Amino acid sequence: MMPAIDPRYDARKKRARVAMFITAGATVASSALDGTRLSGWQWAPWVLGLCLIIAFCAISMNSGGGLRTRRGMSGMSGMSGLSGRGWGAGDRPDGRMAHRWHGLVMVSRMMPGPAGRRWLAEAESVLWEIPAARRATAVRSYLLSGPRLAAVMWAHEGLRWARPGPRHPR
Amino acid sequence: MGLRLTVQVQLVLQALLRDPAKEMYGLELSEETGLQPGTAYPILLRLEHEGWVTSRWEDVNPRAEKRPARRYYRLTAGGAVQASAALAGARRPKGAALRRLAQGDGAA
Repeated sequence: MMPAIDPRYDARKKRARVAMFITAGATVASSALDGTRLSGWQWAPWVLGLCLIIAFCAISMNSGGGLRTRRGMSGMSGMSGLSGRGWGAGDRPDGRMAHRWHGLVMVSRMMPGPAGRRWLAEAESVLWEIPAARRATAVRSYLLSGPRLAAVMWAHEGLRWARPGPRHPR
Repeated sequence: MGLRLTVQVQLVLQALLRDPAKEMYGLELSEETGLQPGTAYPILLRLEHEGWVTSRWEDVNPRAEKRPARRYYRLTAGGAVQASAALAGARRPKGAALRRLAQGDGAA
């Protein structure tokens, strides 16, 4: 059993951190744009865009939750994905291992939606059962092969869309 | 045929061909072949894309089983024939290559 997870996983803390990033981003962006020659409300889309980018980065960094839910991995059932599906209070990874778990989530986001979900779910399934001594190596193998796989998946996706005729959802 | 028969692909096919009717899940295949799971997955995906392999999620209640559902892979009827033919025509992997893979140097 792995050591208990620290309170950083608390959802309220994550939301607070995201809000802090957005506020800080908006402040920096508005200060930076203040000196430019943008007149009237021309600066508004820039600030909004920057805020969105910062928010996205912030949520991604808080990969213990947030966008992972978008992947449908932790969802309402609580029985799928890295944060749910049978994790006991003391079963979650911590420290370096947690970093790697989060890395898997990040890599899965590089892939097209359903393919990424399947990759992550399968990785989780395998890593759950693999002996602890081999887990770190296995995670590394997923992390190393993931980006290349993502590129292949997007290429397939592109070809699927480029192909003439009706497109059928997979 | 759009599939390149690398040593790793051959190892996966050999493992699946040992009992073509048997379903194998990721970890089982990884242990059988000596490949890392992250290496075996893209191969299985490619085989599935080529129609040689079919896969399904295990129908279990993860809470009751206290583990996530497994993804099971099995050769299709056509896939088994094609895989046998391909392996028969392929160059046998050298002993050194197999030893390297067994030692965990299985990055595709």
